[in-house]
Amino acid sequence: MSTALIVATLAASVAAATSLLYATLGEIVGERAGVINLGVEGMMLVGAASACAATTVTGNPYCGVLAAALAGMAMSLVFAYAVVDCGANQLASGLSLLFLGLGVSALVGKPYVGAIVHGLPSVSLQTSFGEVSAAVSIDALVVLALPAAALVAWLLNATRWGLQLRAVGENPLAAFAAGCNRRRLQYQAILAGGLLSGVAGAHICLAVTYTWAEGMTAGRGFIAIALVMFARWNPWAAIAGALVFGGAEALQLQLQARGLDVSPFFMNMLPYLLTLAVLPLTGRAGQLAAPAALGRPFAGVE
Amino acid sequence: MNAITRTLLCALAAIALAAGPARAQDKPPLIVGVIYVGSVNDYGYNRAMKDGVDDMAKAIPGLKLIEAENVPETAESERVMSAMIAQGAKLIIATSFGHQEFANRLARSHRDITFIHAGGWMIEPNFGTFFGATQTAWYAMGVAAGLMSKAGKAGFVVGVPIGFVIGNVNAFQIGAASVNPKFETRVVVTGGWSDKVKEAAAANALIDQGADLLTMHVDSPATVIQIAENRGVYSIGFQSIEARKIAPKGWITGLGFNWGPYMIETAKQVMAGTFKGAMVRQGLAEKMMVVAPFGDAVPPAVRTAVTAAADKVAAGFTPFTGPLKDNTGAYQLTKGEKLDGADMGKFNWYVAGVVGRVR
Repeated sequence: MSTALIVATLAASVAAATSLLYATLGEIVGERAGVINLGVEGMMLVGAASACAATTVTGNPYCGVLAAALAGMAMSLVFAYAVVDCGANQLASGLSLLFLGLGVSALVGKPYVGAIVHGLPSVSLQTSFGEVSAAVSIDALVVLALPAAALVAWLLNATRWGLQLRAVGENPLAAFAAGCNRRRLQYQAILAGGLLSGVAGAHICLAVTYTWAEGMTAGRGFIAIALVMFARWNPWAAIAGALVFGGAEALQLQLQARGLDVSPFFMNMLPYLLTLAVLPLTGRAGQLAAPAALGRPFAGVE
Repeated sequence: MNAITRTLLCALAAIALAAGPARAQDKPPLIVGVIYVGSVNDYGYNRAMKDGVDDMAKAIPGLKLIEAENVPETAESERVMSAMIAQGAKLIIATSFGHQEFANRLARSHRDITFIHAGGWMIEPNFGTFFGATQTAWYAMGVAAGLMSKAGKAGFVVGVPIGFVIGNVNAFQIGAASVNPKFETRVVVTGGWSDKVKEAAAANALIDQGADLLTMHVDSPATVIQIAENRGVYSIGFQSIEARKIAPKGWITGLGFNWGPYMIETAKQVMAGTFKGAMVRQGLAEKMMVVAPFGDAVPPAVRTAVTAAADKVAAGFTPFTGPLKDNTGAYQLTKGEKLDGADMGKFNWYVAGVVGRVR
């Protein structure tokens, strides 16, 4: 592999990794509070469609990002009510949220299918190695991605709020006995997840595709959930996870464009094969890192 | 306003009132049911179908449309079409490939209803199939690419590499090589008709690897054209010719579908009772395929050459004339051998000069 290919792949992976990182960070916050939300994909889609709609209506892409964040939060509120207040099964509620998101986003996005939205202002850095070139487009959400990971890490690991949140995720009864407000903390965590998923969708629409198509996220919400496990619920490791997956996708397309003599169908499997391959590596250590009360409805009386 | 005008206006109003209800009771000359697989606002395939349907409605006064969007390619489509028949539809237009067997089943149980379906192969006396002869038309796009690309290298973003898509790529490469023998078409497959994130990454990858012109065969050309424009390379569109608005700098030209004339003709045949199910494949000659207006970047000499190539195709030229090698170096067509009609949709090999694998 030549330097040119590596640089081009790294540059290209930024675009895919940014939205994955936001979605993964959101899911980490929720799971640390003991709530697994399988509806990330649905919230991302609603975020993307809302970003598209709001940007077209207002003409300002930052309004689009704001709308996406609010829409993601609104979606997660439905989920939060079901799992936090009613003690509904988290897996079933999350999947319902996914399908709700598919429907809502199709409805919101309908007038914008195939239409071009004016994306986030960006600076394009370009370098070339003879015939091969590498380009990375830097916009506000790319710039904020790493600080966002740092912020989540700081909030979870260095603040009282984070300690309480993690306590709820490990042992809600003990946390409750110690005076934590489980309900409020889980609501906050789920809403943060909705916000970040919405922003992830906004980045796809406003910085990668510049248009809306139904089901556009194409499974990236589920990849984000897998990346949470890969990252062992650690926001810093999520950066690496997002870059690895984004890089695998970019690499297979770069290799195709380069004319590598391998079946395109096999190439399209690569990123998913890679995800499957790294998950066992986290293996038992991954199990240990998981919040102990993840996925369990609260059984106590508040 | 004088008295005479006022009287006249009153009289006109009275006539309008009297005529109004009577006209509403008139039966429409034809009720047409149309099903689309997606939204008609996609600036792509479904939009082109909708434009054709609207042309038909405009051309035949009183024609009534019953339309349904987002009709899946399942038995659900059969129920939607049945409901249209129950509302009096005498002509059903099923616009997506996967609607075929359901429309065909209904056609066999409703011999008095006419069906036309896009892109299939089934034929009944009351069931016809139609599609654009896209492959030959892509030859003209290739000529445009061959003359415009300085690197002599185009990137082709392909959704799913099925036979007729491969045929489009092949004709494009043959056209380009006819004006630049060293021309190369690099293919990247995304694996879906509408995975926009991958289309974006594929477009970027092709530009990274040296392509200075992009084209595509996916549902909506918007993303690929926008990326080409952002990175300052040329683009050639497909499906909807409206996409040129996205790329004021890099747009060269494009291919679009024009279904109107065929649909008008079919509606007239149905009303006259002369419809016969057949396989209809029309191209540039019959104006079912149209070449989009040229972009500002295209010099007059290139415009002339591309128009001439399109005219050559319209006059009956087929790019798939032997001797023709595939991209592994093996002869697929011997001298004088020709592919035409349905064979052009059954490719499982790329011509020499295309960089990519079929499977």
